[in-house]
Amino acid sequence: MPKPMRLSILVNEIQETLENRFEGEDFWVTAEITDVKKYSNKRWCFLKFIEKEGKAIITEIKGVFWGGTYYQVEKFEQQTRQPFSSGLEITCLVRVRFHQRYGLTLEVLEIDFTYALGKLEMDRQAVLARLLQENTESIQLIDGQYATRNNSLPLSMVIQHVALITAPGSDGQRDFLQEIEKNRYGYGFLVSEYLVQIQGDRSSELIMQQLQHIQSGKEKFDVVVIVRGGGSQTDFKPFDDYELSKYVASFPIPILTGIGHDRNTSIVDMMARPNKTPTKVATYIVDHNFSFEQEVIALKDRFFSRIQEIMQSETQNFYTLKESIAKIIITYLQNRKSNIEAIERLVKNLSPLSILSKGFAIVTMDDQIITDPGKIKKQSALKTILKSTIIHTTVTEKTPYENQPDL
Amino acid sequence: MKTNLTYSTAFDTLEKIVAQMESDEIQVDELAEKVRQAKELIAFCENKLRMVEKEVEKAISEK
Repeated sequence: MPKPMRLSILVNEIQETLENRFEGEDFWVTAEITDVKKYSNKRWCFLKFIEKEGKAIITEIKGVFWGGTYYQVEKFEQQTRQPFSSGLEITCLVRVRFHQRYGLTLEVLEIDFTYALGKLEMDRQAVLARLLQENTESIQLIDGQYATRNNSLPLSMVIQHVALITAPGSDGQRDFLQEIEKNRYGYGFLVSEYLVQIQGDRSSELIMQQLQHIQSGKEKFDVVVIVRGGGSQTDFKPFDDYELSKYVASFPIPILTGIGHDRNTSIVDMMARPNKTPTKVATYIVDHNFSFEQEVIALKDRFFSRIQEIMQSETQNFYTLKESIAKIIITYLQNRKSNIEAIERLVKNLSPLSILSKGFAIVTMDDQIITDPGKIKKQSALKTILKSTIIHTTVTEKTPYENQPDL
Repeated sequence: MKTNLTYSTAFDTLEKIVAQMESDEIQVDELAEKVRQAKELIAFCENKLRMVEKEVEKAISEK
């Protein structure tokens, strides 16, 4: 057996060999990453690259981002809207490094974002395809839009009772509540909050649990609102999750989402009624109630203008009636007047003076007109009144007659 | 006012009253009653939208 050598000599030789082979050369590799540890204050990120065959890992090597390339991790998160974390497949430019103490590492120089985004989109498309395929009753693709049981549910005429799923203390929570509570029409709302940490692998599951609580609870909600704030550490991956998307699609209360990203919509958004931001969800609800109020006001206007019309036509009818009654009365009175005139004429014709002037005489005894000749005796003093003359007479003879004298 | 009144029943009733009035199905004698009813329905919607009732209840319970 030759004399054993010092470890450092062997390791140095390994290093030299590797440097000879790999010095000054960079390689593009595609691999899955795992054991990702980010130290954002030091701006380091450690990870492992792996390759699997089936479930077995057949290749594994350490990887690292140092301070000079750590921004690539941040940029990855911004662009793909998901955390740089275990399980992702990335394509990146690496350099082979060997350190006497820390061994072999692939130092990452650059990430291929096109690949990352493409991969993300492919995953999304796969989830969408599966949703359509496995949930034909609750999810359909119509004219490029996903029509689900949930987003086909009619909304209440007025939305007032809201279940809010949000991360505690998040921008989304604050923005939504602020907009809805200080709405300019003064509408009242009852918001029950269902708080959940929207971060990490379990968040889609936690959101689903809150949805279950909402459904099984006693409160009756008009809508469920799911919001999350913007910011750079956003994690949208839970909202592309198959199980959560499926659950949302068939949830029995209308869901409004404000997941807060403008570049593309998450799958959960597509299964529900999406709005771009938490503030916009609140505005949507307030506007919904406003249009209801407008309809009420329109009915109110129609009602009162109709009342006015009816009152006007009734007043008109009344005046017409009043006028015709007045006419009837006038005619009546005129008729009566002409009757009276006729009577007056008659009465005038029958007056004693007109009788006297026609040649008749009035006979009185003791200043009483004689209507009963039986009272007249012989020697009675009578006055015979003619027109303009009174004749004083004394009765010498009285002869009753039976036959009417010819007058 | 009926306590279990909802927006949709209030709205439907109001719509019906207006339609009846516009098609002259309402007698003049019924007008006053209809005005009372319509005003009540409108007030219900307006108050409920702003949760006036709730505030009143709250104010009472705070005393």
